[in-house]
Amino acid sequence: MHIQELILRLQRFWADRGCLIGQPYDLEKGAGTMNPLTFFGALGAKPWNVAYVEPSRRPADGRYGENPFRVYKHLQFQVILKPSPAKVQDLYIESLEALGIDLSKHDLRFEEDNWESPSLGAWGVGWQVVLDGMEISQFTYFQQVGGLDCRPVSAELTYGIERICMFLGGYDNIFDLIHGNVTTDDGVFPVTYGQMRQREEFELSAYSFEHANLDLHRQLFDAYEAEGWHLVNDLGHFLSAYEQALKMSHTFNVLDARGAVSTTERPGIIKRVRDLACACARAYLAHAEGAAVPADAAGKGGAQ
Amino acid sequence: MSGTKTFLLELHCEEIPARFLKPLSEEFRAAFSIWAKAQGLANAGLETFYSPRKLAWRGSALPVSQPDQTEIQVGPPQRMCLDADGKPTIQGLKFAEKWGVEVSAVRFEQPAGKKEPCAVVTVTRKGRPTIELLAEALPGLIAGLHVPKAMRWGSSEFEFVRPIRNLLCLFGEEVVPITVDGVTATHTTWGHRLYHRNHPEPVTIASPEAYEAALEAAGVVVSVEARRARMAAQLEALAAEAGGRVVADTELLDTLAEIVEFPKVVRGDFPADFLRLPKEVLVTSLREHQKSFCIEKPDGTDLLPCFLTAANRTDDPAGFVKAGNEWVLKARLYDARFFFAEDRKHPLSERLEKLKALTFQRELGSYHEKTGRVVALTKMLATRLSKDDAHIERALEAARMAKCDLRTLMVGEFPELQGVMGGEYLRHERAHEEVWKAVKEHYRPVGADDAIPSTPMGCLLSLCDKLDTVVGCFAVGLIPSGSKDPLALRRAGQGIVRILWEQAEFAFTPSFLMDTALKVVGPKATKPEAETREALLAFFRDRVGYQLEWVGYAGSVRRSASAAGWEDLSDLKARCEALSAFAEDPRFASLAQSAKRIGNILKDESPAEAFDEAVLSDATEKTLAERLKALEATCEHAHLLAALADLAVPLEAFFNAVMVKCDDPGLRAARLSLLHRLRQAFLRVADFSLWQ
Repeated sequence: MHIQELILRLQRFWADRGCLIGQPYDLEKGAGTMNPLTFFGALGAKPWNVAYVEPSRRPADGRYGENPFRVYKHLQFQVILKPSPAKVQDLYIESLEALGIDLSKHDLRFEEDNWESPSLGAWGVGWQVVLDGMEISQFTYFQQVGGLDCRPVSAELTYGIERICMFLGGYDNIFDLIHGNVTTDDGVFPVTYGQMRQREEFELSAYSFEHANLDLHRQLFDAYEAEGWHLVNDLGHFLSAYEQALKMSHTFNVLDARGAVSTTERPGIIKRVRDLACACARAYLAHAEGAAVPADAAGKGGAQ
Repeated sequence: MSGTKTFLLELHCEEIPARFLKPLSEEFRAAFSIWAKAQGLANAGLETFYSPRKLAWRGSALPVSQPDQTEIQVGPPQRMCLDADGKPTIQGLKFAEKWGVEVSAVRFEQPAGKKEPCAVVTVTRKGRPTIELLAEALPGLIAGLHVPKAMRWGSSEFEFVRPIRNLLCLFGEEVVPITVDGVTATHTTWGHRLYHRNHPEPVTIASPEAYEAALEAAGVVVSVEARRARMAAQLEALAAEAGGRVVADTELLDTLAEIVEFPKVVRGDFPADFLRLPKEVLVTSLREHQKSFCIEKPDGTDLLPCFLTAANRTDDPAGFVKAGNEWVLKARLYDARFFFAEDRKHPLSERLEKLKALTFQRELGSYHEKTGRVVALTKMLATRLSKDDAHIERALEAARMAKCDLRTLMVGEFPELQGVMGGEYLRHERAHEEVWKAVKEHYRPVGADDAIPSTPMGCLLSLCDKLDTVVGCFAVGLIPSGSKDPLALRRAGQGIVRILWEQAEFAFTPSFLMDTALKVVGPKATKPEAETREALLAFFRDRVGYQLEWVGYAGSVRRSASAAGWEDLSDLKARCEALSAFAEDPRFASLAQSAKRIGNILKDESPAEAFDEAVLSDATEKTLAERLKALEATCEHAHLLAALADLAVPLEAFFNAVMVKCDDPGLRAARLSLLHRLRQAFLRVADFSLWQ
C-alpha cells in the first residue's frame, strides 16, 4: 500500500467514527503527543476526539539515509479519544482491518509498554501492539499530562506509518516504499519515499551528528526558556509559551544526539523543559477550561 | 441448606501485563482464604488460572451456607426477672424480647463467674447462604487487590491494573450477583479474539467445572502451567527438527507462557551472515527485542541461523507469523550489526576520556576515576603475584580498558552486554588474549550460579573492580543494611570471596585487600577509617560465612572452623574439608565436651607454655603428654584430625581420673600447661567447643 493511501484510509476510518481530522503542528517535535491538539486536548473535562499525521524527529535515530529501517524523521498517525471508549481495543482492531490487514491470518498481541514523557510531565499505561512480532502501534491510557491528572482518561493510539507500510508490502528498505503516484499527461510516475526523503535524511543526520553548532544550541535552549517563562508568567499566554517548550525539547535532542549532554546533566535539562510545559498546562486549565478546545458554546472554537 | 458447590470468578480484562498476573492471582487467593475462614466457610483453597486477558479462581466444595451458630446469652439475676409468685417481671419480659424468644424459653442457671442464678437463653444464629456472602464480599476483595501500577480509564475513578470488560461469577450453576465498576457478573465470558471473529456471541460457562474445556474450545488455554508445558515440548521438537537444541532460558519460557492465550511456537530463519556477530549479541538481541529463543548446534558451540518464538494463535495458515517475525528480526540484527560496525570504527581506548562524563557514584566520582583506582589496585596486587613485567603491563591494560565499553552503542542498547562487548572489541583489535578475556569476564560471577572468570587475569580484574566498589562505597557510608542493598554490594562482596576461595594462588586476606583498597580510595573517603574498617571486616566475615554455607558444609564444621580463623581462605577451606570428613565421627561429640571443659578450666588462668613432664603422675596424663608431642609435630589437617579423634577416649579417661586443680602447685601448673598446649593444638583446625 502507498503511504498516502494508508494515511487517507486511517483519516477516513477515524473521521467516520467521530474524530476531527487535525493537521501536523509546524514545529519540530519528537512525537505526535507533543502536538497541542493532544497536549492540551487531553486536559480538562470536555469530550475530544482528534486524529492527525505528525512528522516526528528523533535526531539520535538519524542514519544518514543508509539504514533501511531507521530514520531521523518518521510519520506518526495519532488518535486521541476522550473519554476512552469501552470498545477502544475493538475500534483499533477494526482500523487495522480497514488497512486491509486480515487478522484471521496474523498474530496480534498487546504487550505491556508504559509510556512516559519526562519533558511533558506526562505518563500513561498501555501496550505496544505487536503484529507478527513487529511493533506497529503504541496504545496508551493517559494518566497525567503536564503534571496534571487526566479526568476523564484519554486513549492515545499511535500508528507507525512507514513501519506498517513496509510490513504490509514486505519491503526490506524504507526508502523503497512508494509514497504515491504522480500522474501527468505523459503517464503515471510512482514516487518513492527515498526520492522524497533520502537526501533530507542524509543532511539532517549530518547536521545533528556533525555540523550543529553546539554553542548556538546551548544559547538557544536558554533563550527559548527565558522567552517561554516570560510569555506564560507575564502574559498568561500558554500556546506561544508551549511553542518555546517544544523548541527547547528539540534543541535538547540535537545536543543529546551529539553526546553533548552528560548523564548527570540530563535529568536537570529535561526538568527545565518539563517545568515550562507543566506551567503551560496549568495556565491552559486556568484560562476558563475548554476555551481553547473544542468549539465552545459561542461557536468561536479553534485554538485561539 | 447443606451441601457444597464450586465457586468460580473470572475477571476478563484488556491485556494485563505479564509481570502482574501471578502476584495478583496469588494475592486474591490469599485474601479469599482469609475471608472464607472469617465467615466460617470451610474450603480447600482456590485454584488459580490466568492468561493475558483473564484472572480466574475456582474453589471446589464450598459449603452452600454458613453453619448455624448457637450462643448462650446471660441476662439479669433470677430475683430481678421473676416476682415472688414466680411470674416474669418487666425486666424478665424485656430480656426475652431482646433475644426474640418466648419467656418460656428463658431458663435460670448459675453461670460460671456469677454469684447467683441468672436468666439464660440459647440463641441460634442462622448461617447465611454463601452466595449472599460472596455477593457482598467480592467487589471489596477485587477492589482491594494491590496493583503496583494502577490505572484509571474512561470517566470512572475506579483503579485497576487494566480495564475490566467482563465478569463471570458462578456459585454452582448460579450467577453471583456482583457489579464492579459498572460491569455486572453473568455466566458468560469471552474466548480468543480470533474465535469471536466467527462467533459473535460470548461463551457460556454452564458450571465452574466446565470452565477450562469451554474456553479451550474458544481458543484459550487458561492454565499457565499447561501453556508452558505445551510450549516447552514444541520448542524441543522444533529445535531438533532444525538440527540443534534450544539455548535454554527458563525466564523467557515463563514470559512467553504468560503473554499468549494459546500456546504455539513458530520457527523462523535469519540470514546466516549475521552469525558473524558475537554469539552473546545474537542471543541478547533475540531475547530482548523479539522474545525469541536461539538454537545452537548439538555440541553447544555455534548458533544456527534460526530462532523460535511464540504466537498467540493455534496455527500460521498463511505463513505470515513466521514471515513477519523473520522480517522484524532482520531489522533488529541489522541494527546490532550497525552498532557493532560503528563501535569498531574507533579503538575501544578512545572511550577512556568519555568515561569522565559518566558518573559511577556521586561521592566516588566518574567511571574514569574508578578506572584509575582499579588500575592502581591491579598494580599493587599484580606485582605481588608476578615478577613478569610484560604480564603485569597486560593486567594494567585490561584494567584501563575494562569500563570503556560503557560508552559504546552496543552496551547503550544492551546494558547486560557490558564487559562482553569490551572483550569482543579488544579481540577484534587483536589485543592479547589475556587482556580481552579478562575484560570480557570481569563482571563475573554475576550471581551465585555464575562461574568466576576463566583466567587468572580475569579473576584479578574482577577482584579489583569489585573491591573498589565495595570498599569505596563503605568509605562514603553506603553500607548495606537489612534488605537494603541498592548497589548490590553483597553480591560484589560474594564475588570477591568466591574468587579468593576458588583461585588458591591469590593468597590475599580480606584485611590486606581492604587496607590496600582503602589506601587507593584515599581522600574520597568521607567516614572515619576505623569505622569503615570495622564495618568492612564484619561484612567480609559474613560473606565468608555465606560462602561456607553455599559450599554446603555442616553447621558444626562452619562454626568451629571459622572460629579458629576465617581470613586465610585457602587454610579455612582445607580445614573445612578435613573436618567434613570427620563430621559423622561419634568421637567428636566427646571431643567437643572435653574442649568445653578445657575452656572452662583455663578461664582466668595463664599457664606457662613449658612444663616438666616428670611431674605428671597419673597414667592418663602421661598418655596425653605423649600424644601432645605427636600432635604438635603433625602438620597435615587430616592427620591432625585423626590424631584428635583418637584423643577423645584418653581425654575422657583423664578427666575421670584426675583433678586438674589439685593442691600440689607444681603438678597443677604442669596439668594446666598440658591442657593449654592441647587447646593450642586443637585451635590449629577448629574451635571444638562450638562443635555440636
